[in-house]
Amino acid sequence: MEAKPEEKAEFEEAEIEYVSYGGEHHLPLIMNLVDQELSEPYSIFTYRYFVYLWPQLSFLAFHKGKCVGTVVCKMGEHRNTFRGYIAMLVVIKPYRGRGIATELVTRSIRMMMESGCEEVTLEAEVTNKGALALYGRLGFIRAKRLFHYYLNGVDAFRLKLLFPPPRQVL
Amino acid sequence: MADKPVYEEASIDGQPPKLASIPASDTTVWADASPLLQAACAGLRDGELIHGDNFNLFAAMSALEIMDPKMDSGIVCTYYSIDEAIENGAAPIPISLDSTIDVRCTIDIMDHLLACEAAWHKGHSLAQTVFSCIYLLRLDRTAPHALLHSYCRIIRATCKAVVSVVSDARTHEEEDLFTMTYGLPLNGDGDDKCLSILNAVEETISRQLRACKATSSKRRLPEDLEPLQSNSNLEEGFCKALLCRLRFRKHFFHVLSCMKRPQGRGLESARKHIASCLTELESILESADFLRSCFDESCEGDIDDKTTASGFEPIGFDAMLNSRLSAPTPPRAIKILSWKKAVEYFVKLLHDLDVICSYSLDPHLESLLRFVVQFQKSQPDLVARSHLQLLLVQDGKLYGRDPFFAVINKAAALPEATKNHDIQKNESFLQLGMLVMNLLKILCTNAAWQRRKLGKFLQDWRVIYVQLELAFRNEYGEVSSSSNDENTCMKIFQHILLWVEEQTYWIAFRFLILGFELELYSTGEYCMVYWYLYAVLIKLTEKTHLMMAVSHDTAKRKGKKKKDSSKDLARESRIPPAVLFLQCYICLAEGLTMMLAALRNEIPVFHSPSPFNTEHEKFVQHFELLQRACIPDHVSYPSYKESTTHARFSTLAMYNYFKDAQRIAKEVKSSFSNDPERAFSTLFSRLGGRWGRNVPFGWIHFSSYLK
Repeated sequence: MEAKPEEKAEFEEAEIEYVSYGGEHHLPLIMNLVDQELSEPYSIFTYRYFVYLWPQLSFLAFHKGKCVGTVVCKMGEHRNTFRGYIAMLVVIKPYRGRGIATELVTRSIRMMMESGCEEVTLEAEVTNKGALALYGRLGFIRAKRLFHYYLNGVDAFRLKLLFPPPRQVL
Repeated sequence: MADKPVYEEASIDGQPPKLASIPASDTTVWADASPLLQAACAGLRDGELIHGDNFNLFAAMSALEIMDPKMDSGIVCTYYSIDEAIENGAAPIPISLDSTIDVRCTIDIMDHLLACEAAWHKGHSLAQTVFSCIYLLRLDRTAPHALLHSYCRIIRATCKAVVSVVSDARTHEEEDLFTMTYGLPLNGDGDDKCLSILNAVEETISRQLRACKATSSKRRLPEDLEPLQSNSNLEEGFCKALLCRLRFRKHFFHVLSCMKRPQGRGLESARKHIASCLTELESILESADFLRSCFDESCEGDIDDKTTASGFEPIGFDAMLNSRLSAPTPPRAIKILSWKKAVEYFVKLLHDLDVICSYSLDPHLESLLRFVVQFQKSQPDLVARSHLQLLLVQDGKLYGRDPFFAVINKAAALPEATKNHDIQKNESFLQLGMLVMNLLKILCTNAAWQRRKLGKFLQDWRVIYVQLELAFRNEYGEVSSSSNDENTCMKIFQHILLWVEEQTYWIAFRFLILGFELELYSTGEYCMVYWYLYAVLIKLTEKTHLMMAVSHDTAKRKGKKKKDSSKDLARESRIPPAVLFLQCYICLAEGLTMMLAALRNEIPVFHSPSPFNTEHEKFVQHFELLQRACIPDHVSYPSYKESTTHARFSTLAMYNYFKDAQRIAKEVKSSFSNDPERAFSTLFSRLGGRWGRNVPFGWIHFSSYLK
């Protein structure tokens, strides 16, 4: 008996609906996705911290009413730079590889740029080829390597995107 | 006196809790908080949060969900305290009344401790690894069991010694979990005698081994010697299995003690003990077959994942007992290394320590830097790196022996006589000594940490150069010197200024090369990285060449006056091999830059702009620290663009970058006629030249894209 190949969802990219965080009704959707896919344990307060203070930076992706992906971010002053931070990015397995994560992140970064951020940063495991490729295409560089950043001993890259200086209007 | 544990009957959902409750004491009393919690649950609606002056959302993130196993470490505890665990038989003494099982279990404990020790070295806390051993946490109660007692003592003494080395080195910035020992019983009375206690046990088992062999050859039994355990068929195997484990611990402890001796005095002895350790580790591995086969019951699961040679689970370990002593955040479950991997780790550690012990304590800074760079290529772990650092920098001197001004004096090709010159008391020279000391410490850290430190360090080297130059100009602005001493001082300044520049560019080069090793550059960024490398190499070569010329001058002056022979002139006009080598690198860097630029310019798929920024931003980010320190001067994104915009395959064919590199490399190799391979590889290693060798083939591969 052969192993069943991973079920991939069938859909057109245009069928995916992207929505900005709209309130308490979105919170359990985000929490379920992240709890399912990421290994870090977050209490409900962690989610509230991000979505209450920066609701405009979190987005959800829906397919026919089902939440299939989310991105959760923040921004703020850090050592004299106004900087955005991508805290969580999840797309459920059957929907991966179709640009949903890229679209979610892009919307968030655009919002950060419009809000005056000078740069955006996040950490990713050095082994997470998918994430590194995604962010690399968007213009992030690997600014630092963090030794044994994760509990399982895996290193991390600190990824940073520097926005060009705003064009002077003459 | 605490009461015996009492089981609480009631709880919120009506199910009895699995844990025994914490006993009340004289100053505490239990009160049921369930009504209060219920009222609180009803008091807030979903989505509401209490705002407090001293409690905001950010602080709330540190909250834990009670009874969530991922966050609430107490929920997965079997026992509340060490005493409770012991009372419930978690760490029996003796382990078994059957002496054969007792011995096997003791060996299991020894093996599991080795696995825990390796896990600790690899980056987990002592509390969750080695000190998850209940026997170790209450060492005194093991006194009736000589074998276990002596083994635990030496483990404790060893851990203490290793913590001390790593703490002293202070290279563990990111690895600070390693030295956390709060609340752990690391200091034991009489641990200084641990070796003699171990020796006594070893002696007994040796005699037991001899006795069981004597029995088989029917010779006279020694009186009053009880066998190790009751099964005579297994006596020899168990004795041998124990002996190699005890001997390994003994020799390992000696390695640490010898390496601690100042000025590298114990290195030769350490090497002997390292060799013994490796022999014993081999015996330990070989004992696995016997240990696995000596009992009828086979163990479940993959033998390779087990933390013991026998495959059985060890008795007397509970990682959650220390959960309150670990880091402030609740400890997550960690995976102890398998026993096999633990042995592999120690083999590697010993090999790394052996490399350190074999080092000749060369007073030449350049050789030392080469050695450290080469050593780091094997990716030594924290314990080995800490030992290296402590060997290099002790009491503010190199190897605890050479003052840093003397080291700099030699590196800057100044005559031996100037190393005691008063000028070293000058503030700038003192600071320079500190910089060299810090450079050595930084070069002993893990590559990721090292690169970040080296980047920031560039600024310090630039500043010291400016300071020295200013001091030089203030003192000797008008060159009308007449006194000998003034001449000497001038010379010191000149040499050292040049040397500081060379060192600065060397650090810049290391910084850039480490980026490759750490995989910090994506392939689209290689072009600008090689271009920057090329710019740094040009300056490094220039300074190195000048430094060698100046050093040749000093040597000439030192030598007896003799007529200039044509041979001398020829030697003078030849470029020194070290410089040739750098020139080889320049060719490679330039060639790679142009090749990648041509690819980018001619083949659209290699040029993919990102939606949010441009190559300019990436350039600024990657080279920010170098640019800030003006290393090198007049290097910027526009100049990079200018150099590479017009690169085309058609024009590239006119240049022979890689052919030139090959030719120069051959020349370098031949100039080291007595030991070409060694010289070649050491020079390569100085600059981290893994990528250099394969480039000509890379060119052939890429040029096939043209067709």
